[in-house]
Amino acid sequence: MSTDPLDGDLAFAHDDEALFARDVDGQLIRVVSATQQDYDSAVTLTIDGDEITVMKAVPSTDAQGNIVNDEHGHTVPRRTTIYDAVTTLFNRRRGSAGRRHPVPTLCHREHMQPVGVCRVCVVALGRRTDAGQRTEERLVPACVHPVEPGMVVHTMASPEPAMRERVEGSVRVVVELMAADHLPEKPTLAPSDELTALAARLGVDAARFRLEAREAPAADRSSHLIDVDRARCILCDRCSRACNDVRSNFVIGRAGKGYEAKIAFDLDVDLGASTCVSCGECMISCPTEALVFRRPVESRWRQERLEIAEQHYEVSAEDLQRHPLFEDMPLRFLQWNVGAVVGWHVKRGQALCRQGETGGTAFILLRGRFGFWKRPGGQGGLLSWIRPPGRGASSGTLAGPPDGELTPDDLIVGEMTCMNNQPRAATVAALEDGEVWIVRRNLLYVVQRDRHARERLDRIYRERALENHLRDVSFFADLDESERAACRKFLADRVELVRVDPGQVIFNQGERADAFYMIRHGHVKTTQAINGQQRVLSYMRPNTYFGEIGLVSREVIDSSIPPSRWDRRTATCTALDHVELVRVRRDDFRELLRMFPALLKTFVSIAQRRLTADYGWSPNVNGMLAEFLDQGLYNGEKLLVLDMEACTRCDLCVKACGDSHGGVSRLVRDGPRFDRYLIAGACRSCTDPYCLVGCPVDAIHREGSLETVIEDHCIGCGQCARNCPYNAIHMVSVGTGVAAQRLAVSCDLCRDVVRHPGSDEVRCVYSCPHHAAFRISGDELWQRLAGAKG
Amino acid sequence: MIIRELQRLHRARGFVPRAELSTVAARLGVPLYRVHEVVSFFPQFRATPPPEVDVRVCRDMTCRLRGGGELLDACQALAAVRPPEQLAVEGVSCLGRCDRAPAMAVQVHRPGREGQTLRYTRCTPTQGRELLERLTAGSVPPSDHDADHHDGRAWEIDIYGGKPDYAAARQLAARVSAGGAQAAAACRQVIERLRVAGLLGMGGAGGRTHKKWNDVYMAAGDEKYIVCCGDESEPGTFKDREILLRTPHLVLEGMLVAGLLLQARRGYVYIRHEYSEQIARMRAAIAEAEAQGVLAFPVEVFVSPGGYICGEQTAMIQVLEDKRAEPRNRPPELQTNGLWDKPTLVNNVETFAWVPSLLLARDMASLRFFAVSGDVEVPGVYEVPSGITLGALIARAGGMRGGRAFKAVAPSGPSGGFLPRWLEGPDGPFDVLDWRLEVQGARELGLMLGGSIVVFSEDADLKDQALGALEFFRNESCGKCVPCRIGTQKLVEIATRIRDGAIAVDAVYGADAPVGRTLGELATAMKDTSICGLGTVAANPMRTLLRHFRADVERHAARG
Repeated sequence: MSTDPLDGDLAFAHDDEALFARDVDGQLIRVVSATQQDYDSAVTLTIDGDEITVMKAVPSTDAQGNIVNDEHGHTVPRRTTIYDAVTTLFNRRRGSAGRRHPVPTLCHREHMQPVGVCRVCVVALGRRTDAGQRTEERLVPACVHPVEPGMVVHTMASPEPAMRERVEGSVRVVVELMAADHLPEKPTLAPSDELTALAARLGVDAARFRLEAREAPAADRSSHLIDVDRARCILCDRCSRACNDVRSNFVIGRAGKGYEAKIAFDLDVDLGASTCVSCGECMISCPTEALVFRRPVESRWRQERLEIAEQHYEVSAEDLQRHPLFEDMPLRFLQWNVGAVVGWHVKRGQALCRQGETGGTAFILLRGRFGFWKRPGGQGGLLSWIRPPGRGASSGTLAGPPDGELTPDDLIVGEMTCMNNQPRAATVAALEDGEVWIVRRNLLYVVQRDRHARERLDRIYRERALENHLRDVSFFADLDESERAACRKFLADRVELVRVDPGQVIFNQGERADAFYMIRHGHVKTTQAINGQQRVLSYMRPNTYFGEIGLVSREVIDSSIPPSRWDRRTATCTALDHVELVRVRRDDFRELLRMFPALLKTFVSIAQRRLTADYGWSPNVNGMLAEFLDQGLYNGEKLLVLDMEACTRCDLCVKACGDSHGGVSRLVRDGPRFDRYLIAGACRSCTDPYCLVGCPVDAIHREGSLETVIEDHCIGCGQCARNCPYNAIHMVSVGTGVAAQRLAVSCDLCRDVVRHPGSDEVRCVYSCPHHAAFRISGDELWQRLAGAKG
Repeated sequence: MIIRELQRLHRARGFVPRAELSTVAARLGVPLYRVHEVVSFFPQFRATPPPEVDVRVCRDMTCRLRGGGELLDACQALAAVRPPEQLAVEGVSCLGRCDRAPAMAVQVHRPGREGQTLRYTRCTPTQGRELLERLTAGSVPPSDHDADHHDGRAWEIDIYGGKPDYAAARQLAARVSAGGAQAAAACRQVIERLRVAGLLGMGGAGGRTHKKWNDVYMAAGDEKYIVCCGDESEPGTFKDREILLRTPHLVLEGMLVAGLLLQARRGYVYIRHEYSEQIARMRAAIAEAEAQGVLAFPVEVFVSPGGYICGEQTAMIQVLEDKRAEPRNRPPELQTNGLWDKPTLVNNVETFAWVPSLLLARDMASLRFFAVSGDVEVPGVYEVPSGITLGALIARAGGMRGGRAFKAVAPSGPSGGFLPRWLEGPDGPFDVLDWRLEVQGARELGLMLGGSIVVFSEDADLKDQALGALEFFRNESCGKCVPCRIGTQKLVEIATRIRDGAIAVDAVYGADAPVGRTLGELATAMKDTSICGLGTVAANPMRTLLRHFRADVERHAARG
């Protein structure tokens, strides 16, 4: 009987506790409350014979890889898992031929919370005792199991045949079970089906488990965007997490129990009848063919390029996925978003993009040499909002030799504008005939869910951002060119890029001043406790700097800073929106001032001016400024402001807007009041455009100039409308009944509307008979009011 | 509050109207899918208006052995000729009345009798049919009550003789209230006492109780919870039912001691909804303890919405958090990350019940309870010395039914599979009737030992029993992880073919037998990759059937 496969040990349930539940000293490990100390605590384990050291915990991130902060502004530690460690080891050797991740996954994606339900990521886990003895291995799911020192892990790639076979044996059976129930007997080659691919990788033929024919559940084709085939669903939970965690739409759950369990929408209604907003996130997350798109999303942008310019060509999803940057992206997303990429045989001298333009594309460099030109005062495009002749508010120039060169080794260019929504920082043109893929921002958005691709892009971004910033620092004005170069050189290795979330405190009044900050993007609020009251003193815009007072307080002659308050912060600085800062540590900053006495003079006089200027405000103005900031008005470049002392509520502005936009007015004559002004509900053209973040199909963007455009291929998910804090984007229904689809509409600054002769004004402003309506930036509005009241 | 809201609706209407689900979601401020996830998971909730007479017949293990299948067939034959709005009959997982098998639960939905649950036991098919005819005709034959089946024997566990004064809890409360070093010393002493007494977890795992208590005691945080598991839904198992009924005060006092020690915020007694008398007794005990002023923290009964998987401790915690009973991946353990992610002590009813006597009267945990059912003369719950032999336990239960010969025993419901008379031990073959029933010894033999003993005589068809056990696991799998969700179904499909003689014996036995190999690989993969114990052990009935009862397999295969 010994050869009988049934002669194994009886399985035991209810083990006391999991392997590695206890620490070396016998204490139970409290896993969830990983501590900040775990960030610095190294764990060495062995994976397939290789030793690797990883940190015990890493900061939790959201689906986009942004670090999550708790209500106190602290990062939230998350325990490193075995899968993380295997991936780190794998990434180190990525690219060597034929290597693939030794731990397959179906239910796990790096950007989601692991749930450990599919069990194909199991690895054999043992530990070496102090005496060097091996304990008996157990299989554990790598995606959820935290790392501990001394672990010995075997994957399907283990050098030990017995371990390899044990892991692979179990994984094969689990894949067979899924294949038997959820794959057709003769699977067609569908590269986006991860289950088919895994079955093929393991050479699985599930015939022995295809026993009783299952009645196939009826397909659900009620949604205009997504077809549902529950026969293919393996209940991996990826769609639920995509819907509920990634997009916060809260539609998808599991229904029923056991073998009859299934995914369900709301109270188990058809997808088309549910509260689904059709964002497509579940579909691009599905590892099988259970959720598929009905038709790919084409864009006018791509069609125009393919039709007009013969240099352009189609790029397939499969081609795209073969590029190292996109290799871990869900193929289905690429197949769905055909309209988001186009190939381009670029000719010598042709510009890829121009400095100052807004844009939503990046360029994957495939062949050729490219030059870039950076003109000082880089943000010209932002202020030249008035519709330029033709497209593009370029201020870029190709004059003179380029400031630098790029080749395919540099991978990508133009990515910054996609990642920070700011105008192009440079003009880029081909120095010889070459080839690029133009990809849209939604591709770059989704690619960042993969850690490897994200880290790669982030590295490129940080290097370029810091380099760009140091080129054009305003406090260099008092230095001559050779001093500036020396300054740049000194700072180059000493600055770091810091990202701060809206509302997060950068430093508090009274704290020790430990750094100097330059604002690259976003706005920073300064508040001060005066006589026990918090008062808003000012706000700072991009390309300004702060934090110098506490660093030069010994040199400042001001009675308000007694020696006891030297080196301390005189005010609290808080991010108003998404802020990107360049930070110089105190010691480096002091060293810089020592090297360049002219800078010390500059900063002392700035500090002195700020200290006195801040006290100039009255509590009244402080309060008004607080309200101004609360309403987000600082962020607006093109507020539609109605002077309520002149406005007769005749509504002609609304009518004019509707008349010129197919009958649907893009503005609402309602909104927050500020002093005697009404800020109408119309696109404000924000410096930090929240609306652009996360559009699944890149239907909303800025192309060339400041206005936000929503293209016809909008899928109506409402993400932009939810993103906009100012209710300036409206969802309207198109069609009727089940086929009704929603579309987002927003003020486009009359981009495609023919102007009245002799006027550049947008319709709403032009049509006002009382001169009550005008477009103005938040800054201008504040200056106007502060000037009047201050 | 989702589950309690749904239970309230269900009580009022006999079902949960779909239209109400949106209202519940809106009132509680949760997404629709969250409500549907829960309502569609638990067997307690039905989605459509119930028939006038709603009958559930147990089809598991002891009931299956004692004619539950035939009873179900007879009742369904009657239902087939009656209007569906008048009578519906379905099979149901173990109702926990294995001592009176076969058992059926009946709900009558009639004006004035909304959702009244009745129970009938020991029915022959003919009696069952007559019973349903009377019920549908409008009369209500008296229901069977657990309280009517007291065997009259006193239990040594009940040091109070049924009149509790909560001495153990009072003593600890006094010392803890002193605070400081004295309180800490008192807590340490309790844990040490449990260690010395050797109290083990009585829910099946047999872990060391003092270690668990100490883990929660040592866990960081000042928000801790106590949960008593009275879910007990494993076929053949009903000892907690009797303990909850007869000595709820001991269970409560055990929880109070633990709660004083841990400074617990709240305690929950999780009881399956089929134990209505026990729920009432426990609530009464809580009220009495409160009246006596010994309830140091709030303790409440949580009525389980149903399902064997709720007895998996992490799944039970999920239910307390208003979620589907889907077990968690471990680590972390509940001792550190339990209810609401806070340190939580989970013990079985019997484990808590032993605490007062171990603190006040006894030195060693030398007694324990077994639920004995199947082919014995007097099925029931027996308080016996730990380490009693199987033969002696059967003798306590009146011996084999009608003097029949012993064929097999299931020492842990379906989880441990079926053991034959003669087993292979380290020192050669031994008689299973001489097996000393205690956890450590069972482990050394590679056997599982739970709180239930189901005895099978020579008449039993173990192929059918194995299939029944596999169906039970399939029916009770939560569906969270792949190996269990699909694997349990495949086991049922293969077992059905074996029972029906559709698979040749050659294909099952031998080195190259394809079905045998498939079953072996499937069982290993399920054991190695399932999240919780259910999937881990689900293949055991099949493994033990093929290993020990080849004659049963062959008899049918030859005929087929």
